[in-house]
Amino acid sequence: MSAETVSGTGLEVPSFALLIILLPMLAFPVILLLGRLFNGKEWWRGTLKEGGLIALPVMAASLIASLAIIRRFLGETSASATSTVMHWVNFAWQDAATGEIQLFSMNFGFYVDHTTVMLLFVASFLCLLINIFSIGYMNTDPVNDNRNHRFYAEFVLFCSGMLGMVLSDSFLWLFIFWELMGLCSYLLIGFYYERPSAAYAAKKAFLTTRVGDVFLVIGLAMLWNLFQPHAVGGDALAYSVVFDGANLQAIADAGKSGALQLALGFMFIGAVGKSAQFPLHVWLPDAMEGPTPVSALIHAATMVNAGLYLVARMFPIFGAEAMHGAFTDLAFLIALVGGITACMAALIAFVQMDLKKVLAYSTMSQLAYIFTGLGAALWLANSLDWHHDDAAHTIVVVAFGAALFHLFNHAMAKGMLFMASGSVIHEMHHAHHDVHHHHDHDEHHDDHHDEDHFDAQSMANMGGLASKLPITATAMLVGSASIIGLPLIGGFWSKEGIIANTWRVALEDPRFFLPAILVLVTAGMTGFYMSRMWFMTFAGKPKSEVAAHVHEQTPWIPVPLLVLIPMSLSAIVFASLEATHYLGDTGSHLGEMGLLDGFLYEMEHAFANHDPFFLVLTYIAIGLSLVVGPMAAMALYGGQLADGEVAKPWLKPFVSLSARVNKRHRFDNAALAEGSLATALQERLYFDAWYDAACEKLVAGFSNLAAVFDRRVVDGAIKGIESGSQSTSRQVRSLTTGSARDYIMMAALGTLLIALVLWGVA
Amino acid sequence: MIDPLYVSGLSAMLFVMGLWGAFTRKNAIIVLMCFELMLNAANLQFAAAAVHHGDVTGWIYTVFAIAIAAAEVAIGLAILLSMYNQHATISLDEVELLKH
Repeated sequence: MSAETVSGTGLEVPSFALLIILLPMLAFPVILLLGRLFNGKEWWRGTLKEGGLIALPVMAASLIASLAIIRRFLGETSASATSTVMHWVNFAWQDAATGEIQLFSMNFGFYVDHTTVMLLFVASFLCLLINIFSIGYMNTDPVNDNRNHRFYAEFVLFCSGMLGMVLSDSFLWLFIFWELMGLCSYLLIGFYYERPSAAYAAKKAFLTTRVGDVFLVIGLAMLWNLFQPHAVGGDALAYSVVFDGANLQAIADAGKSGALQLALGFMFIGAVGKSAQFPLHVWLPDAMEGPTPVSALIHAATMVNAGLYLVARMFPIFGAEAMHGAFTDLAFLIALVGGITACMAALIAFVQMDLKKVLAYSTMSQLAYIFTGLGAALWLANSLDWHHDDAAHTIVVVAFGAALFHLFNHAMAKGMLFMASGSVIHEMHHAHHDVHHHHDHDEHHDDHHDEDHFDAQSMANMGGLASKLPITATAMLVGSASIIGLPLIGGFWSKEGIIANTWRVALEDPRFFLPAILVLVTAGMTGFYMSRMWFMTFAGKPKSEVAAHVHEQTPWIPVPLLVLIPMSLSAIVFASLEATHYLGDTGSHLGEMGLLDGFLYEMEHAFANHDPFFLVLTYIAIGLSLVVGPMAAMALYGGQLADGEVAKPWLKPFVSLSARVNKRHRFDNAALAEGSLATALQERLYFDAWYDAACEKLVAGFSNLAAVFDRRVVDGAIKGIESGSQSTSRQVRSLTTGSARDYIMMAALGTLLIALVLWGVA
Repeated sequence: MIDPLYVSGLSAMLFVMGLWGAFTRKNAIIVLMCFELMLNAANLQFAAAAVHHGDVTGWIYTVFAIAIAAAEVAIGLAILLSMYNQHATISLDEVELLKH
């Protein structure tokens, strides 16, 4: 391993960037071993929180190092900075034809551009916050006693994988860290492995993403083949090689841009699996079997973004001049998959009663938004002459930046929402525990088993929690508003951008009308299901005795919520700093226009667009997501709190409004709820059933075939040899008559034979 | 001086007689004797060849063969004795323990 720094753009990534990945990776064995050795000891449980307080400083150090990197590169406008940390495969050979010495080396290094800066912040920031949350959530639940070290060890390993994927400088290392995350996801979903449903969910998640990963590997192999002739001295999958305009030009000249599109398409299937998009989406809702911090970190805020990150990394290829117009089909496919998933997931979220499942489908739907946005941005980058035309340039970078900005907003909001849901579930558990013990402590002595028949995650047992869990309710409100797209906060800025850009492409390429309509409709559906979740949980009267006894009491849990609430609210600051330009265009600064001018520019763009088409589109989107969806939710699920309960002043208007709408427009949806559509949605549109059936038919059929092959051919060959040699030996055995006379005869004949042979030879 | 050709012929006749006896007789002692007959047929052939070529090597072989034959007979008779002790017979038809 030789350490040396190579820099393409004159910028170097400081070597302490390695600490960001290395610290959590080293913490993994430490926590695991200490946990094994000292499990149950008082200082390990109490003082170190079963490893939680080892993970915490590690993640804090990672965040500090990340912030230092971000501070270093935030103001940089050059395309990228790369640094090679080590050559991990190295060999030289002599070319037989020319006699020259050829060098081959595979490198590990860092690649930092504006996308990296953003995602690095998201990953390290949320890892730390969710670590804090976990200490409150995991260590106060008796079910987890004496095995939390496993949780924290896998947690830090996951963080290492995520941060490594963000920082690494080639598709190969991206894939390696990608798989590391997949493993941790599997282990953490199956954290409660004694529950069959959790073990099943872990397997399902692992195998479903594996389907995508197989395609990803195929795509990477094709990419390697395409770029190998152009990679001097080795790594054909390094970003510096793949993004190089001259290499792309050479590939286009060789007429291989079709093969390149195919390779990127296969890689996109990998992204589809990882980010739980149609048709590989089935694993994400089941992944909610894992502990809530895992759902917050892996299945909402970070790992599922890996697929988006992979597609976003293809942007320089789509945007290259050499590839002009070659990849519009793939861009359409990306947008279409996004559109279908967005609408489908939102539909299924309508009927979910499990708090975490609603959020899971919401995650799926929002990731799909980003895919649609990326698809539109890639189409624009591939079709417009944006290298020379300034207007086109702005359109492309804003489209790409909007998708990435939505990734940021969604990660922050969804991380917060999941932690808030965790807070609700945790306090529900506590309350149930108290209520239960109060009533019939004679019958039950076991703490764990009495919780089996009470579903603390079901919204049917909640209601009226706004006054009881003020911080959680606020976090949930802000997060939901950000996801819905309430003007001025959170996801509004980015979501409007995604919808507008998809329509912009649709005007040019009519195929895009399908995803464009789907994402527009989904905006209204998002308004409905997020509002439904909030009102069912926090408004109205408590729907169970347990919900009436909930208190916000667990330490650590509110901390990350209090940090993330202003984070989501302050999206307006990021928007005013031209975050979309910054993320989309590596040549721009953050806050190029100045805060106030940026704010005015964004406001004008959002609410008073000069183009009447986009102006109308904006107000339709706002109307759908802010009026139609939430109104319907309020009419169905709104209601005043129980008498004597007072919500905080900023929550009160929402509760009162919902009560008023509910009183005036109440309608009975029983007929709808029992209709075939509702049933289909309950059954998740039968995808799981179809996949199960298909697996049964295909896999079982193939297994039977393989079994026959095994019995007949493989076993048959061995048994044939065995029985053949047996019968041969039985025949040979009959030569041994036991009679001396026969032996003499044989000896004589043998001698005669030898004599004849010798005579013949002579 | 007898023509070596006649001696060779006699030797061949003796050998065939020995072989025939070894194949057909069931008394183990007779079979052993037939072996001796074959051995001596070979000795006779050696002697005839030595005379014919005027080479002493043939005589040396003959002397060796006689010595080995003596040892062989001793061992053979020992085996037969042992066989008689075990089976109370020296008929080759009745001793076939090695069958299959």
